[in-house]
Amino acid sequence: MARSTTTTRSPPRPPCEQGKDLTRRAQRRPRAALPALAALFVVLTPAVSAAREYLQLFVAEPYLELHTGPGRGYPVFHAVPRDASVDVLFRRTDWFKVRTERGVEGWASQADMLKTVLADGSPFKFELGDQAGFSSHRFELGVFAGEYGGANLISAYWSVALNPQMAVEAAAGQFLGRFSNGETGDLGFAHVISADTRWSPLLLLGVGIVHTEPKGTLTTPENRTEQTAYVGGGIRYYLTRRFFMRAEYKAHYIFTKRNQNEEADEWKLGFAFFF
Amino acid sequence: METGIRVLLLTAALALLPGCATVRGWFHHGKQPAQSADTGSPPGTAGANGPEEETPPRVIEPQVERRTIKVPRIRSSNVEIGAFYGALSIEDFGTNADYGITAAYHITEDFFFQAEAGRSRGGRTSFETLSGNLQLLTEAERRFTYYDLSLGYNFLPGEAFLGRGVAMTSAFYLLGGFGATDFAGDTKFTVNFGGGYRVVPTDWLALHVTVQDHVFQTSLLGVTKLTNNLEARMGATVFF
Repeated sequence: MARSTTTTRSPPRPPCEQGKDLTRRAQRRPRAALPALAALFVVLTPAVSAAREYLQLFVAEPYLELHTGPGRGYPVFHAVPRDASVDVLFRRTDWFKVRTERGVEGWASQADMLKTVLADGSPFKFELGDQAGFSSHRFELGVFAGEYGGANLISAYWSVALNPQMAVEAAAGQFLGRFSNGETGDLGFAHVISADTRWSPLLLLGVGIVHTEPKGTLTTPENRTEQTAYVGGGIRYYLTRRFFMRAEYKAHYIFTKRNQNEEADEWKLGFAFFF
Repeated sequence: METGIRVLLLTAALALLPGCATVRGWFHHGKQPAQSADTGSPPGTAGANGPEEETPPRVIEPQVERRTIKVPRIRSSNVEIGAFYGALSIEDFGTNADYGITAAYHITEDFFFQAEAGRSRGGRTSFETLSGNLQLLTEAERRFTYYDLSLGYNFLPGEAFLGRGVAMTSAFYLLGGFGATDFAGDTKFTVNFGGGYRVVPTDWLALHVTVQDHVFQTSLLGVTKLTNNLEARMGATVFF
């Protein structure tokens, strides 16, 4: 099935747009449902009525199935024949909302869309994240639940990778306990051992700050903010696409103004994604 | 035992962190080192034949200009942001109006992340009502503020029909997560679980009905107990 790099199916256009043959200008049709609520949110959705440039893809398999909704259970209501084109309107999770040449809109699965081709015949590729991305990526973002010095802990972290083995991490948390509440903030290094495997251990080293608000019943001790240093270890497990689980332990050394420094153990389990 | 773990981790970290210095490509994450021009040719051939013999002269120069292929980015619409209004039954403190904001990220067609923050107000306990002027809490302490981080699971996805002409995708969902609640002068670790129903009338708008329980431990009324604070609410969200 030889195909020239010229898109004959696209509507004629002035020569100045010759470089945009893979795209098509399309106008979204106005929606009629729930005009009252639509009015509420029209300010929030500038993309609704604006003209957009959509990717045009051609069906290379015998047909492309369109479902009524973005899910595996929704019935197929339309089939786009081979060599016909669709405009990709947007993506939601693993599903692409597409519009056919006749204006029929439906949902095509990612697996089916990866079998379509661009106007020049090259296959359509789409990156949703994979284990190679897990091994080597730039940023991570995640949330944890756990324990900090005997108190319940809710925490989130952000990480910037310098290379696949080494990352700078910032974490912020809130701990809520029987005797005190407070917040923590950490900044440090994470060293990933065996970054290219599904289970990859990591070592953590850094400094931080802890703000403690003791709950006094008879006497009310003052709130305090102290510097900390931590060393720890953890493990991350690749789940799917851009997502992984992460469990970690940090031993915090709290440098107090009192006679003795304190120690606090932090255990947590969480869920994170990379991008 | 714990000191042992610390010493072990500290030793391992100190031993391994300097090892990172030997890793190539610092600050050049993800980039492959540029290959030299002659790495593709087998050794020996470049010297024997020279570059002229590798590329035969062209008889006809094609007059075709290479087009620059421009592939527009596909917009992803996985983020849902909106607001809700409903009723929250605070254990021992009556039922009051409740409002807040919510944000969700759809990971797959089955799972989503949800973060929400809400505010309500605790009323008077029956003890306060019976005893006349006695006040257990100040007005500021009656403010009930919470935030939650939850994981959601869509089940029974389907379509809802409005007459003959309108079909909207819909789903029931289960929610479970953790967060914190600020009430009665204290902040408590809170576990939440619940469920809801979502209808998506257009590609960018979703309507929700959600019922959720916020459970936390308190000893405000003398005995330490788990309190269940049930919330029923309606909301609207916009997909981005």
